[in-house]
Amino acid sequence: MHSILIVDDEAGIRNMLLDYLESKYAVTTAEDAESALSLCDNKNFDLVISDVNMPGMKGPDLLSKIKKMHPSTCTVLITAYNVDDYIRLARKSNVSNIIPKTSPFNFAELDSLISGLLTKNIFGLKRYMLPQYTHLGEFCIRSSRDAKEVREACVDLLLSKLGVAGDMRLLVDEIVTNAIYHAPSFPDGTEKYEEFTEVNLEPHEYVYLECGFDPEKYGLTVVDNMGRLTKDTVLYKIERQMSGEGVLDDSGRGLHMSRLFSDRMIINIEPKIKTEVILINYFSHKYRGYKPLYINEL
Amino acid sequence: MLPILLTVLLFIVLVVCIGFAVLFFVARKDALFFKRSLTMKNQRHDTVITDKITLSKNQLETTFDAITDFICALDENLIITRVNKSYSQFVQIPIPKLLGQHCYEVFWKRSSPCEHCPALLTFANSKPVHKRTFKMPGKDRPLFFTIASYPVFGSDGKTTNVIEHIRDSTEEKAILEQLIRSEKLASIGTMTAGIAHEMINPLSGIAGTAANMLQMPEKYGLNEKGVSRVMTMLESSSRASAIVKDLLHLSRKEEGTSMLIDINSLVLKAIDSVQLKGFPIIEHKINTDPTIGRVLCDPIKIEQIIINLLTNAIQSILEKKAAYSREGKQFSGLVLIATQSQDGHVRIDIMDNGTGVPEAIKDKIFDPFFTTRPPGEGTGLGLSICQKIVDEHNGRIFFESAENFTTFSVLLPFHTTQEEELHA
Repeated sequence: MHSILIVDDEAGIRNMLLDYLESKYAVTTAEDAESALSLCDNKNFDLVISDVNMPGMKGPDLLSKIKKMHPSTCTVLITAYNVDDYIRLARKSNVSNIIPKTSPFNFAELDSLISGLLTKNIFGLKRYMLPQYTHLGEFCIRSSRDAKEVREACVDLLLSKLGVAGDMRLLVDEIVTNAIYHAPSFPDGTEKYEEFTEVNLEPHEYVYLECGFDPEKYGLTVVDNMGRLTKDTVLYKIERQMSGEGVLDDSGRGLHMSRLFSDRMIINIEPKIKTEVILINYFSHKYRGYKPLYINEL
Repeated sequence: MLPILLTVLLFIVLVVCIGFAVLFFVARKDALFFKRSLTMKNQRHDTVITDKITLSKNQLETTFDAITDFICALDENLIITRVNKSYSQFVQIPIPKLLGQHCYEVFWKRSSPCEHCPALLTFANSKPVHKRTFKMPGKDRPLFFTIASYPVFGSDGKTTNVIEHIRDSTEEKAILEQLIRSEKLASIGTMTAGIAHEMINPLSGIAGTAANMLQMPEKYGLNEKGVSRVMTMLESSSRASAIVKDLLHLSRKEEGTSMLIDINSLVLKAIDSVQLKGFPIIEHKINTDPTIGRVLCDPIKIEQIIINLLTNAIQSILEKKAAYSREGKQFSGLVLIATQSQDGHVRIDIMDNGTGVPEAIKDKIFDPFFTTRPPGEGTGLGLSICQKIVDEHNGRIFFESAENFTTFSVLLPFHTTQEEELHA
């Protein structure tokens, strides 16, 4: 059984997480960073979930310290404040998953996040959907010409089966463009294809796309087989766009827009193997709160 | 010898006499001439002075008439002895007819002097009275006047006349009130942001625990009654969270994102996002101008404005429809959504033929927590959030409610590149 440490000064949140998780994990709780650190002295927790704002030491500092003591420990921040405000801080303290405290709390999302981090099994749209997941379709993109057709086919599929597609046409375009033009590279690291040119990908460079839905949400995933993107790059680009630095250039625009225009953006990376961008929209906004930050790098 | 001497003497006397006579005559003539020239000089001097007086009188009268405030001179019986054009235009009585009338009759439409009349006070103590505000019922809103009065002293040092200066301060008062209100709101806003954040924490805990209890009732020893009560708790905390989220929107200048966005696409997207029962059956027409440029804005916030306004429009149609059907009448709702460019701005209009905005609440609809809907249906923060977002974008939001149609309009400044600015 995996061990989890929950650190939050708010008893309601501590108990809520404990009640929910204790059937599957060995859960310990602490009400501040100091007592959490003393618990970590004697034990190597598999995962630590910490509140950001606590009296005394703050969450990001606590997680940095724990990571130094036990590099294998997975770390997650949780906050009632706007997640977007902590992206710079997250990058500094090497945390890439921030859960917002929403009302009602999104337990299903917590489940997929925690199990993904603990089992290192992070890839696949289905992992992030409810058990009643319905697979709608899958596509393979082997050239820039395919990209347009697949995009339209995917959006048409969503519209015909669900009647909604949100901004998926725009977002698929952005994410697939990244996957075709910015993922494949030469051994020296320079990009192989020039953006907006006609491109025929090599067999191993194909891009995979899948879409589906469950009773509360629908989504799609775009996977490239390069694994060139890094967690740090994603955080840097999002932060840069959010602070307004990147308003008039394109660097990071696709990632930023995807996060902005979808309800959830999850990025999974296995370096040099593959990169997955999952975009999810809820049918109705049941979970009131801020958007989370989910980036997993193996 | 003696006769010769006498003759000479006589001759001398004669010559002297003639000399005196001549001298006298000449002197008299000179005096007359002198006197006449003096009179002429005086007359010239008088003309110059008269001219000067006329000029200064004209100048004063022109000034008097050019002043847009209302000015009149009153005698001790409050009878108008002089009055300027603005005064006459305001009361819609020509100046000659105003002279000799009581000021309280022509201006205030009263039969006796006003209470605390500044002019009477000035007559009583010979001192000016500064800035007193008086209210008058107006056509669609009360008018406010700020009045000052100044004594005019006669040669005996007594106050013979009073100059009354009346300024229409209705607009000023409205702006001042708005300022006070927005300043209050700003301080409340700062406080609210803190409170709201502190509330998200416990609310999330309450809602999450309640959800756990519903999911695993046996773990908490809950019976059926317990489950139903916890369900109520969950719903209540959910409603509270909705208010908190809205409050945060309102009070916090959220670090938004700016993007160059085509407003038309946002409008279409917003229409798609409106999830309101009854919306699909309401006729709505979209008339977007494809040539309007892009706007540098926070797309999510702007979309939120459009959704808010659309939701209001639809709700007011549904309310009207319900009211009509209670009376057994038919009503078909209509929503018109249009975009166009106007003076360097993109203008978004959302028009509906619903219940409209009653006169009495026109001033209040942008106030936070102001709502006409029953508790639980809307937080009353929608329009104040819209106002705030539009302010953040240096835009303007306003509305017009006529008999059958209500139009809410949003103006957002166009994005101009540096190059375009140079050309402009």
